[in-house]
Amino acid sequence: MSVEGVPEVPPLSRRVTQEGIWRYAEASGDYNPIHVDEEYARATPFGGTIAHGMLVLAYLSEMMAAAFGHDWLAGGRLKVRFRAPARPGDALTARAEPRRARLPACRTGGPDGQARQVNRERVFEYGIECCNQKGETLVSGTAEVIVVRSR
Amino acid sequence: MTPANLPNIADLPRGHEIPAAHFRLGADDVRCYLEAVEDHSNAYGQGPEGPAYVPPLAVAALALRAILEQVALPAGALHAGQEVEFRRPVPVGASLRSRARVAQRSEMRGAVVSVIEFEVGEDGSATPAVVGRATVVAPRGEAPS
Repeated sequence: MSVEGVPEVPPLSRRVTQEGIWRYAEASGDYNPIHVDEEYARATPFGGTIAHGMLVLAYLSEMMAAAFGHDWLAGGRLKVRFRAPARPGDALTARAEPRRARLPACRTGGPDGQARQVNRERVFEYGIECCNQKGETLVSGTAEVIVVRSR
Repeated sequence: MTPANLPNIADLPRGHEIPAAHFRLGADDVRCYLEAVEDHSNAYGQGPEGPAYVPPLAVAALALRAILEQVALPAGALHAGQEVEFRRPVPVGASLRSRARVAQRSEMRGAVVSVIEFEVGEDGSATPAVVGRATVVAPRGEAPS
């Protein structure tokens, strides 16, 4: 659904693999056995290994970074719940639904130059989710980004 | 695996400060992270050895790693929620300092819900570049994994 004044964000697709989970464990240093030890994970209520929540969140962040570039790095915000695990073999789709545009609540005030900067800023809000191939929502929440409009 | 002599996250009271940690994300670390998350976007600028800036969620992931090096998660603990706010781009190679504390702790049906607040900033900077809150649900009374 389009919302006036809020840019559309292209969705992003990724496939979860055990090899990818291993690579993420190496990159993040998170070797929790639920992610990397298949024998251990089989004996848990999950019945097998699951992807790191932060790996799935990385797909949502990448989707927003691809859409907003530097503005995302300097003024992005994510708030999510991890609702269900992503498993090896899952085909994930990350999506952002435009919600509204607003002025920033408050940025550090100051001299004239900073006030003009504030006037050029807008906050775009989105509902975000990451679903698997069955349409199950694994992660859901909101994303916001402060965008500085060029003159 | 987390050493068993670390404090169990479920036992930490509200207000508990997790000792500060220092780390650095160099060009190789960023390349490794981007390959792991299959991020081929050009969103992070161009530096001499690759991206100019660290993917902001990599900074948050490293802050969580720093927490997990000082706190034990019991078997069955779940990462239930995450908030993260990117306030300033972090240049590749910057020396970073992270701080964390238990912001909330509650008990519900035999589980402990802990909210860990963290912030990461460049060494020497008074203001953080990335702040976040991780919600962890852990069974009460289990031995650390």
